[in-house]
Amino acid sequence: MTMDLDVSGLTKLYGAHRAVDDVSFAAPAGSICGILGPNGAGKSSTIRMIVGISTPSAGTVTLGGAPITRRVLRSVGYLPEERGLYRNMTPLATLIYFARLKGMGMRAAKTRALELLASQGLDGFARKKIKTLSKGMAQKVQLMAAIAHRPRLVILDEPFSGLDPVNQAGVEAMIRGLAAEGCTVLFSTHIMEHAERMCDRVVLIAQGRKAFEGAVSAALAAAPRVAHLETEGAFDLAAALSTSGFKLERESESPDHIRWRAPLDGPEAPRRLLAACVAAGAPLSLFEPSRATLHDAFVRLVGDQAAPPRPEAQTGWRAVAPEARHA
Amino acid sequence: MREILLVARREYLAYVGAWGFWLSLITTPLLLAVMIGAPLLLRQAEPERRIAVIASPADQALLEKAFAAPAPGRPDTGVGARYKLVRADVQDPKALTPALTGQGEEPLFGALVVTRAAGDVDLQYWSTNLTDRAPLRVAQDALSASMRRSVLASRGVAAADMAWIETLQPKVSQFDPRAAPGAGAVSAKDRAPLVAALMAAFALWTAVFSIANMLLSGVIEEKSSRVLDTLLSSAAPVQILAGKLLGVAALSFTLFTVWGGAGAGIASLAAAAAPSTTLEAFRSVATPELIALFGFCFLAGYLMFGAAFLAIGSLCESLQEAQTLIGPLILVLVLPVLLFAPAFENPASPIVRAASWVPLFTPFLTPIRAAAGMPPLEAIGLCVMLVVTIFAILFGAARVFQAGVSGSASAADVRRRFAPKLKMGG
Repeated sequence: MTMDLDVSGLTKLYGAHRAVDDVSFAAPAGSICGILGPNGAGKSSTIRMIVGISTPSAGTVTLGGAPITRRVLRSVGYLPEERGLYRNMTPLATLIYFARLKGMGMRAAKTRALELLASQGLDGFARKKIKTLSKGMAQKVQLMAAIAHRPRLVILDEPFSGLDPVNQAGVEAMIRGLAAEGCTVLFSTHIMEHAERMCDRVVLIAQGRKAFEGAVSAALAAAPRVAHLETEGAFDLAAALSTSGFKLERESESPDHIRWRAPLDGPEAPRRLLAACVAAGAPLSLFEPSRATLHDAFVRLVGDQAAPPRPEAQTGWRAVAPEARHA
Repeated sequence: MREILLVARREYLAYVGAWGFWLSLITTPLLLAVMIGAPLLLRQAEPERRIAVIASPADQALLEKAFAAPAPGRPDTGVGARYKLVRADVQDPKALTPALTGQGEEPLFGALVVTRAAGDVDLQYWSTNLTDRAPLRVAQDALSASMRRSVLASRGVAAADMAWIETLQPKVSQFDPRAAPGAGAVSAKDRAPLVAALMAAFALWTAVFSIANMLLSGVIEEKSSRVLDTLLSSAAPVQILAGKLLGVAALSFTLFTVWGGAGAGIASLAAAAAPSTTLEAFRSVATPELIALFGFCFLAGYLMFGAAFLAIGSLCESLQEAQTLIGPLILVLVLPVLLFAPAFENPASPIVRAASWVPLFTPFLTPIRAAAGMPPLEAIGLCVMLVVTIFAILFGAARVFQAGVSGSASAADVRRRFAPKLKMGG
């Protein structure tokens, strides 16, 4: 059985500061929903209110139409952003403890714990103390503790933070597995690529306010697209295409090449740009229309200041000074 | 309730699984045994204390007799076994300086010099040990008696009469007017509950203090290691607070049961050898009413201070941060100790009676007052007041704990709230 999560007008005040300001969204049953935003945007505050750790200043949260109570929370699994386990407990005892706190019987909890540990290749570490495990293993145990009681809604706060790429892939697989079993998954992240790869729906939050809610494809449609071009020699592509409706910016230049950036407007724009280049006889050595990203969508929706930082290694491009961009 | 029991069980097992628990379980009785036994062993192992005597043969004999047996009507303090008098073959005590300062093959603990001139007696005591004045006291008593005897003899009192006079002692009896007619004589049996209550109050104070510290460090460790956030998704803050209190209470119960069991075992083994008055005194302490009252007061003190320490711990990220908040509470917790001695001396004094109605003092002073005899109605009233106070403190602590663990309040908030008031007050 799966459950819809409905968040309505959620607000959290710390004195005069509005950490979360009138946030509403829904996570349909069985979906993977991402809450995206930079650090300090209000993601964790929103999640802590959903799981009942902090009390909302205003707003309501319902799960399957019922208000969140301790009984309802028994069907919710939660992985906090700031994680920790009892270092002297074993993974097996930890999973049993948290599953039992969520209402599972001793025998069922033990069976489930052993099953989970085996599924992650940790059965050999079941009875070793957590302080002897590697950080990655401990994080896996923490995630397993959140899902040991077979919740119908799993809320994961920054589940990928602190994990190496191999363990990130493992967590991704685990989240997909939960969704495949019909579990509703809500996770927060400030790394857009994860959300883009995994989510059915996203909620963008900036400075405590919701900036967007909807399908990932809808968010991507809002993202501005650009093409990167490179011409040989000193050919002035911006001037050559000035009459075709494209406004090009010079990104960088070398004695042999000039690199250009062209904003794309609409799905047909890449084809039209290429045709215009050919018609102008441009000596093109590179034509690369970029893929729309959630980061770009975020910047478009909430502005550059509120957007999470974009890791340079993931964009593949280095920024140049604004004055150098213009031909 | 299920969550409370699970949290309590985890707390209990976590402490029991730690080697520190077993160390404490074993070492505490051992430490007590050492504290009691060590002075006795040290005394037995100590070499004989040699006291040189520079005196006439008659005074030498007088002192030897005084050191060998206590004066009539005086208790035996065991000086005969501890000190050995030796005759010094010198007249000037300065000549004994090397031996008195520990040099030579036969060092001396001290030297007594007795000189008589024209009816006056001069007693000097030489020793590098400035604290043990027992030899001087014994010699002084013996010489005083000798001087009295000389005067009485000069006035014609017969030696047999003098010996008889020295044995004269009043027959001392102490009565309690509250006792049944004909049964009012006070004995060790009657005083034992008061002594036991004082010891229990000290034990209660020490236990509450150390166990509350255990709770404080436990919750801070959970907060700093970020386990608390995981726990909060599974149990309400109030359930966590109650579970922790219950778990550590069970731990204390285990400790006290083991220690009490060991003590009872030793007591039953020693019972055969113990004098009947000691056994009677023990039985008068171990009444169900007094044991129940001690238990209740311990529980009350533990819950009051344990909840307060847990609430403070929930506001802090480290022990260092907790110290700034715990300092004033420790000062408050020390206050009851100041009233232990007055309460023992006069349990019915107005200040002790008034203080026992202040919840901070109640768990510690009530056993002492009850052991001395307290009106039943007042005892019930104090217990009711304690129960109400406990609920009020638990309610307040739960609210602070909830705010602390959910991040809505911190130690800095408390400092901000109280610092201006303290400045105004100071």
